[in-house]
Amino acid sequence: MAFFKFNNIRVAGVACAVPRNVVETETYKPVFGDEEVDKFIAMTGVKASHRTLEHQTCSDLGYRAARELLSHKGIKPKEIGALLFSSHSPDYRRPSTAFVLQHRLGIPEEAVCYDISLGCSSLVVGMQTMASIMNTSDMRYGLLFVGDTAGKSVNPHDRSSAMLFGEAGAVMLMEKTDAPADQIKALIRSDGSGFKYMIIPGGGYRNLHASEDVVMCDDGNERSLMNSFIQGTSVFTFTIFDVPRLIKDFWSQSGTTAQDYDCFAFHQANLYILKQIAKKTKIPFDCLPITLDRYGNTSGASAIVSLCDVYGGKDENKVIKVMACGFGIGISLGATSFEINTADILPIMEDDEIYTEGLITDPNQLYEKK
Amino acid sequence: MTRKDIIEMIEEMLDMEVGSLNEDSILSEIPEYDSMTKLSLIVMCDDEFDKKLTGERIMGFSTVKDIVDFIEE
Repeated sequence: MAFFKFNNIRVAGVACAVPRNVVETETYKPVFGDEEVDKFIAMTGVKASHRTLEHQTCSDLGYRAARELLSHKGIKPKEIGALLFSSHSPDYRRPSTAFVLQHRLGIPEEAVCYDISLGCSSLVVGMQTMASIMNTSDMRYGLLFVGDTAGKSVNPHDRSSAMLFGEAGAVMLMEKTDAPADQIKALIRSDGSGFKYMIIPGGGYRNLHASEDVVMCDDGNERSLMNSFIQGTSVFTFTIFDVPRLIKDFWSQSGTTAQDYDCFAFHQANLYILKQIAKKTKIPFDCLPITLDRYGNTSGASAIVSLCDVYGGKDENKVIKVMACGFGIGISLGATSFEINTADILPIMEDDEIYTEGLITDPNQLYEKK
Repeated sequence: MTRKDIIEMIEEMLDMEVGSLNEDSILSEIPEYDSMTKLSLIVMCDDEFDKKLTGERIMGFSTVKDIVDFIEE
């Protein structure tokens, strides 16, 4: 079993930012009809979400979150030993967005920087990766960025997804400490047999020049090969069978039960899925924050969005035990446990800044004399 | 549990009147049988019958009889 245990590593802070633009789910009624939208809201729980501007990315949002978090903690960028950007919404096909963030934040050349290509499981797998890097080196701090701009790839007439996704950029600061009791545990699973369940089929190197023709799919929704596809029923079966099993195995491996946690920061897939997971694992639903109602499904950022929503800016100073669980595209799923002081959880921020230096609309911008 | 009982459970899940469905009822002709109620069917098969209904299997169902056959497997 891919169960990991790290000592002397703790979560020193979390922060996140969302774009200012709010899209109320009800505004889709002229497109999809009243009944369809009402049914969607009832099942998924998504009443609104925040969507980025055309050239705004989740690295912009993560940058804002990181700047605020480092300032709040009084930490200088030169103290950061590793920067990971874990997302399916990179700024470019290449290079990794981690390098852009390193440059923007002024993090030194001694840092390890790269991207991890994951979606909804980004936080839990990213934490395991970061903890592994920190564990085997003497670096004091690591910055993990998560989040996606899934809305940018959804066909606007795809009723299964157009209203579901919200956009956010989040950051987690991890710290090496002298206390062996500072522990992070993680359990990770993968199921490549489901690689087609959540996919953008075109635009990758398998089919770089895929047709952009919009086709009516057998599920009654229009998409092109450059749009995101979700096989709803297959994904649902996986979430209600494999995710509860992972959670129970995590408890068994870590010697814990549901009663050992103050907060279950779970990926905000949709309300129906979260209710099924809570029912099967007997997790008390009032300890499972819901932010998808106001922010939609924010992919890998959703667990941090939940923590910031519940604990951010409340002026409290207490240590809480958190279990995070992420599951989705890949299929990739995982769970982690950690403690965090609520004073290190920032409130959700709104931001519309775009890193204009990174926006290249004319090839000759790359050849400008300085 | 009889096959008739199972059909009644399906009718209840779809919010349809008892007796409105029979084994030959064609699923594509039932407006209540949509992408969302398919998820409820997956939950029902798990909760009530301890059976794992996959996306591939559900796509192969054409009639109510197919659903009942799966449950009785």
